Amino acid sequence: MTRPDALLPNAGIVARREYRDRTRSPLFVASTIILAALALGVALAPIAIRYLDRETVTRIAVVADDDRLATMAIGVADSLLNVPPAGGDPDRWEKTFALERVQDRTEAEERLATAEVDGIMTVERLASGQLDVRYRTNGPADGVRSQLVGFAAIAVSILDWTATLPPDSQLGAFQTPRFAVESINVPTAGGEPVDQQELASRAFLGIVFVVLIFITVVIYGMWVATGVAAEKSSRVMELMISAASPRQLLTGKVVGIGLAGITQYLAIVIPALAVLAVQDRIAEAILGPTWAAGAPIVGLTPSLLLAYGVFFLLGFTLFALIYASMGAFVSRPDDLQTLSLPLSLLAMGGYLAAIMALGGGGSQGLTRLLSFVPPFSPFVMLARVMTGSVQPWELVLSIALMVVAIVVVAAVAVRLYAAGVLLYGQRPGVRAFIAAARRAV
Amino acid sequence: MAGPLPCTSPYAPRTIGPRRIRRPGAILPRVTLDIDHVTKRFAANVALDDLAFSAPQGRIFGFLGANGAGKTTTMRICLGILRADAGEVRWRGTPATALPRRTWGYLPEERGLYPRMAVLDQLVYFASLYGQAPDVARRDARHWLKRFRIADYADRRAEELSKGNQQKVQFIAAVLHGPEVLLMDEPFTGLDPVNLALLREAFLELRDDGRTILFSTHQMESAEALCESLAIVDQGRVVAAGTLAEIKRTSRARTVRLGAEGPTLPAWLAAVPGVTAVRPGAGFAELELGPETDPSDVLATALARGVEVTHFEVAEPSLEAIFIEKVGHPAGDAPTLAEDVADSDPDDDAAARSTVRGAA
Repeated sequence: MTRPDALLPNAGIVARREYRDRTRSPLFVASTIILAALALGVALAPIAIRYLDRETVTRIAVVADDDRLATMAIGVADSLLNVPPAGGDPDRWEKTFALERVQDRTEAEERLATAEVDGIMTVERLASGQLDVRYRTNGPADGVRSQLVGFAAIAVSILDWTATLPPDSQLGAFQTPRFAVESINVPTAGGEPVDQQELASRAFLGIVFVVLIFITVVIYGMWVATGVAAEKSSRVMELMISAASPRQLLTGKVVGIGLAGITQYLAIVIPALAVLAVQDRIAEAILGPTWAAGAPIVGLTPSLLLAYGVFFLLGFTLFALIYASMGAFVSRPDDLQTLSLPLSLLAMGGYLAAIMALGGGGSQGLTRLLSFVPPFSPFVMLARVMTGSVQPWELVLSIALMVVAIVVVAAVAVRLYAAGVLLYGQRPGVRAFIAAARRAV
Repeated sequence: MAGPLPCTSPYAPRTIGPRRIRRPGAILPRVTLDIDHVTKRFAANVALDDLAFSAPQGRIFGFLGANGAGKTTTMRICLGILRADAGEVRWRGTPATALPRRTWGYLPEERGLYPRMAVLDQLVYFASLYGQAPDVARRDARHWLKRFRIADYADRRAEELSKGNQQKVQFIAAVLHGPEVLLMDEPFTGLDPVNLALLREAFLELRDDGRTILFSTHQMESAEALCESLAIVDQGRVVAAGTLAEIKRTSRARTVRLGAEGPTLPAWLAAVPGVTAVRPGAGFAELELGPETDPSDVLATALARGVEVTHFEVAEPSLEAIFIEKVGHPAGDAPTLAEDVADSDPDDDAAARSTVRGAA
């Protein structure tokens, strides 16, 4: 077509209508509210889990032969197991182990059987003078709390032993050993070691981001396709195509629906991010300082969010253009299912490769290759960025290749769209697609 | 290149600029919409076969043809939606492909609006795409809605309107941006007599306002009432073109109006070959005569049978008779579907087409 149609203002007018139409629909509002609530729930989940965890008090019945042993065992175990947090408010802190003396062993067994207590600690002195400490529990032997009780048993025996030393003993006072952990061969980010918690957090975030980018690209892409198909089936396309060029219509549609998608995305993510940002304070208010220590989601940096934004935009634009030209080729929105399946599989390919990369599975070489190849690169490169170790040039190359792909696909999509929107009553098929594109204006 | 006419409001028609030429005369050059030997093929089907005619500026031009004759394809080529394989469309000497979109106003045969969008909003939206300022479009749209007696529907969703009212909204969408040329594909289909009269009135007003209107129709009565000139197309070719009077002169068909004493008109007419009784009735009949039949044969036969003739008139043939003569079948019958293969849904009937379907 030789008619000089500038992209603006018509693409902007179309985009504004698409945006309003989308964001004002009750379905959009309802789904946004539900998803935002879900995201908030996920963001608050770690605090909730720790809140529930805080409530878990391990009750231990202490059974001993004599009062002195019982008192000593309870005193030592209590001071050893219930360590108040540094800098916390002791008044608001609740002990995690509750120790009480039970005189009768049978009674203690009954209470264990009915789960009134979580364990029984029996302290007996053998004929040799050695202490015999047993911990009977319904929990696992190698559970953290069982091991702590074992540690307490040793402390009881040390205290018992030092109590039996004569006053003029040559042995000096008991000295605590120096203890330090040197961690080697751990993953690093920019030379700085990444701790296990952060690494796990980033892998978790990576999965969340890759799932999110996959779902949004496919769902918002389908919005574009159904929008085009609905315009066609309602025949309003006849008016549109004479009022604006296919390039203006296609651009307006993709931009308008893309913006609606971003709006929904922000409406979901901003409250969740706000909660994450202040989760320490929320945790402190709800749980007290002991349990608030340590952010559950670490590694959520602005640069990672930016990477997500960039790859979402690139991925959405590429897929939306293809979805739009598919929408132009069906006479009824129902027929879209047939056409959209191969495209969904394409997105699924990128998604699976990204998930494998995050899990450390799959071939490293293949992952690296796919992180440059559109349309897989938005998923796979995002996964690589999330787990670290991406060179800046790799990022630039991946983005540049996506931009090139978008330009090429856009040129083809405009032709397909122009040809497709005026075809009615034909079965959607590759041959019709190509034939129509050839004779398109 | 011609710009849009300065007039935007239907209620301010007197502001038309000096470029307007209402009645082309001997002094001024005859400016027209030229369909210059246009050919368009869809695969093996020839939709337009060296189609050529000219529609004068500031006139109502009828574009008649059976379904699939190439009318919609011609309009789409004017609009630049389709590209001609050969030939060219020009408006005032400028190729259509070089003209701004707002030159044209289009009422497609396939009616459609955004089902869930308010009527006024969509009118403003379409006018905005043609470059009309939203506030001007809003004001003019309200004028038109009031004029078409649907002002109360301005804020209703399109899907809540009847088919006829939706059609009027589409008509407004086509004229709101003040186009120089209006391409109207079957504008009168499905309208009741009151709305038909409203729309015809609007046609005449737009013409007086200097707009050029090219419209297709199957309703010969509307064409006869409105068109100053017309073209009849069949299978992508022009079979007759010119002013209504010129076309009637080329026809060999005749209409005879015959009054006679006596009972129901008459069995004896069957004895005269090439005669069709269009409006047979007691004591009066209107007869269409084929090209081979002379009107005097009818009179002679009547007198020979001893019929007492009270009225005998040889009139110009009706447009419908001419159409049948030129095309070989009544308007609306579709001998070929070459056009449909490319651009319409064979599953749909006319009623379904004019319904707003699908979801926005």
